Amino acid sequence: MSDLTLAELDRDGALLDPLAALQGSSRAEFLSRAALGGGALLGALLAPIPAEAKPSHKQDVAILNFALSLEYLQDSFYTEVERMGGFRGPLGEQARTVAAHERAHVVALRDVLGGKAVKRGRYDFRGATESRDAFRRTAVAFEDLAVAAYKGQAPRIANTGYLVAALGLHTVEARHAAWIRRLAGKTPAENAFDEPRSAKSTLGVVASTKFVLQTRSRRSPRFTG
Amino acid sequence: MPDLSRKDVLRAGLLAGGGAAAGAALLAGLPQGAASKPSKKQDAEILNAVLVLEALQAAFYADALGRASLTGELREFAEEVGGQEREHEELVRQALGSAARDPPEFDFGDATASAKAFRQAAIELEDLVVQAYNAQAPNLTKGALAAAATIVSVEARHAAWIRDLAGKNPAPFASEPQKSAKAINQALNDTGFIK
Repeated sequence: MSDLTLAELDRDGALLDPLAALQGSSRAEFLSRAALGGGALLGALLAPIPAEAKPSHKQDVAILNFALSLEYLQDSFYTEVERMGGFRGPLGEQARTVAAHERAHVVALRDVLGGKAVKRGRYDFRGATESRDAFRRTAVAFEDLAVAAYKGQAPRIANTGYLVAALGLHTVEARHAAWIRRLAGKTPAENAFDEPRSAKSTLGVVASTKFVLQTRSRRSPRFTG
Repeated sequence: MPDLSRKDVLRAGLLAGGGAAAGAALLAGLPQGAASKPSKKQDAEILNAVLVLEALQAAFYADALGRASLTGELREFAEEVGGQEREHEELVRQALGSAARDPPEFDFGDATASAKAFRQAAIELEDLVVQAYNAQAPNLTKGALAAAATIVSVEARHAAWIRDLAGKNPAPFASEPQKSAKAINQALNDTGFIK
């Protein structure tokens, strides 16, 4: 396998901008350390994030961008379902309603972040938007993941306004999760307590889906290793 | 890192707020809005209000299971969710320790007397509890916030579940509506459930 830099693999920065920011280094610094063989990408995504947990504005921006990258992923997923004609019945109702919510979450986070917002990635949902069964399974995974991811970040947010906003999105993601779980024949509330998930672990799950396109850019990469 | 079970971690987070508790009634004495500076003392006040909400819900589901002739998925919902509310109540009580105040008496009247009334009351209660947690979460210290966050999303799941069962939109808004502590307290009083 030829050596690729992470910039080439993730040229829109959907995953790495938030990751680099969470690691407390600039994107350029992070990427310059990150030239590696393609097979090592997942390992890089799972690399330990130093625990510099002290809330700060800089960290808030990283957290909101991390949330935005998850919302882009969900928005793109549900919007693709709609573009392909949607599903009939309650499942179609769920997909339409949730698509509108995830789009609203993207708009809200981009508004707050302004020029600091990361760009939307490119996705290939590998058939998950095409059949009812694959859609249900993927939507359950996305929604439970989003709940756990917001929960992992909320206590790390410094700005009270951002925290209030994040909490308002967190419980709506939980409503989505319960809704799709019921439609998938799963119990909507499996446990009395929902576990948080760290950013590192969340990004690892996202990477493992292979939904985020990591094709070599035709353009020259913005940063090279 | 010490090998703590999930519940121990939760308890540690909530316990950070388990210090002194002054005697304020229900939610009325709580900070209005999100401007108050978090403190362990304030955590204890908020957690005592949370304890009332969790005890209220646990009692509500137990009462409905005894009186409302629930069948099918509605019964399954009440059993499952009632058990989870008891777990929440137990955790919050343990976290508060000696600072825990005894919850008031409850009377659910007609709300637990029929399946239809139960369903409507459950929707109102679950939505209200989600909004109550969200209103107070920013006033908690970070450790207590992390613990409360593991509960509030489960309350939101309950709300979505019962709404879907009742043929209502489980997620009727893109962002959870923000209510003041005062508005939540008023809505809670309006139920007439707390004696």
